Amino acid sequence: MKKTIITLTILFAFGCLSFGQVTDPLISNCAINAGPNAKYLKDFRIQLGKAANQNELRYKTNMSLWKNTKYRFTMCNAANSKGQLILAIKDDANKTILSSFDKKTGKIFSFVDFECQKSGIYQISYDFRDGQQGSAVGVVSMIK
Amino acid sequence: MKGRVISLMILVVFGFSCRNSKSKTAEFVFPQSDSIPVSEVEKLSPEAIADISKNISSPVEIANLLQTLQVPFSQNYLAESIDANRQSTSFDKALKLGILGADLGYLNMYEKTGSSLDVLSSIRKIAEDIKVGQFFDFESIKRLSKNKSNLDSLLFISIDSYNKIDNYLRSNERGQLSALMIIGVWIEGQYLATQVVNVFPDKMLSDRIGEQKIILNDLLLLISPYCKHDPEFTSLCKDMQDLKDKYRDIRITYTQGDPVSVEKNGGLTIKQTETSVVNMSKEQLTGVIEMTKNIRDRLISNK
Repeated sequence: MKKTIITLTILFAFGCLSFGQVTDPLISNCAINAGPNAKYLKDFRIQLGKAANQNELRYKTNMSLWKNTKYRFTMCNAANSKGQLILAIKDDANKTILSSFDKKTGKIFSFVDFECQKSGIYQISYDFRDGQQGSAVGVVSMIK
Repeated sequence: MKGRVISLMILVVFGFSCRNSKSKTAEFVFPQSDSIPVSEVEKLSPEAIADISKNISSPVEIANLLQTLQVPFSQNYLAESIDANRQSTSFDKALKLGILGADLGYLNMYEKTGSSLDVLSSIRKIAEDIKVGQFFDFESIKRLSKNKSNLDSLLFISIDSYNKIDNYLRSNERGQLSALMIIGVWIEGQYLATQVVNVFPDKMLSDRIGEQKIILNDLLLLISPYCKHDPEFTSLCKDMQDLKDKYRDIRITYTQGDPVSVEKNGGLTIKQTETSVVNMSKEQLTGVIEMTKNIRDRLISNK
């Protein structure tokens, strides 16, 4: 019995350690396939349940973006994701700079290039279309 | 009387409409208080700290700018004096891990992957010393560095490894080491930019140095909770505060405009027409260059 507990403890500890080393293939594939000349900078893993209301995009983070740099924001949905990931970026004055979802046509862009001319800290927001539940990754790269 | 009221109203309306006009400029200023109260720092949630750490610009972005400006690679900018075997405290190790990470980014961006193997082995030693070696995929990085087959993958794995270390440290109550690593990455990137601008004076590069004012406060927020922990932290906090003082009179102003969007190749391209403008004198830039060099040289010296 004692042996079994020790073995289980070791296996559990090993499992925990190994878990930290694994890179989510959704992230690596999305980052590496962001396009030629795209240099990976950051990723955001988004997993959300169905929204109670659809007023605002739910996943929010901040990121500094720098003048004279062209960024590519790529959205990749997991195979089993019900919703499609959408992105919006606001500046420090809360002004919407871009959205990957065109409300008029209903079109969702899988990537958006942003030619930044104003250095600052921007609010990056993600959600799934119509507040659906879903699993996806947003990758930020730099392009030449 | 009626005429005066109407004139006054016109003036008020005119005044407001001027404030909202497209030619309006705003200015970036540090928050009112120069020092951040400890109580404010303690209120920061783990999410806020994670956000701050994401705000800090990647050294890859500085290296990319240097490449755009066709600045040749120089080995002289690297922190070659760092001896991984002579780092005694966790403070030293975490800071050096950040500095070497920035050097690795610079080497990778310039495709100097052969030279990066030495830096990699130092990173490995230090990462293992502070028990985060398991998050660094050394074998894959080494393999990709050797055969130069896929630089995009190499960049991804290198940055991803650092992100994992940062997440792990923050979620395991070792936030002070995460803060040090981030400061190390930033100071080395700043050193690289300031050393290059000395030799290749360029407006775009000096602007990027001036724009670091935007994130300096966040960097100070990250380390502020630890400033009184020990003399090493106290000294680093003082260094960062001194650097912030050098930035005090550098002005960043903004002009307004609406973004322009174009659909191309299935994607959307947004061109920003708002701009940020850095107003920095030669003396102010020199002050930042000197202060950055002093701090960075002190940090990499093997005591």
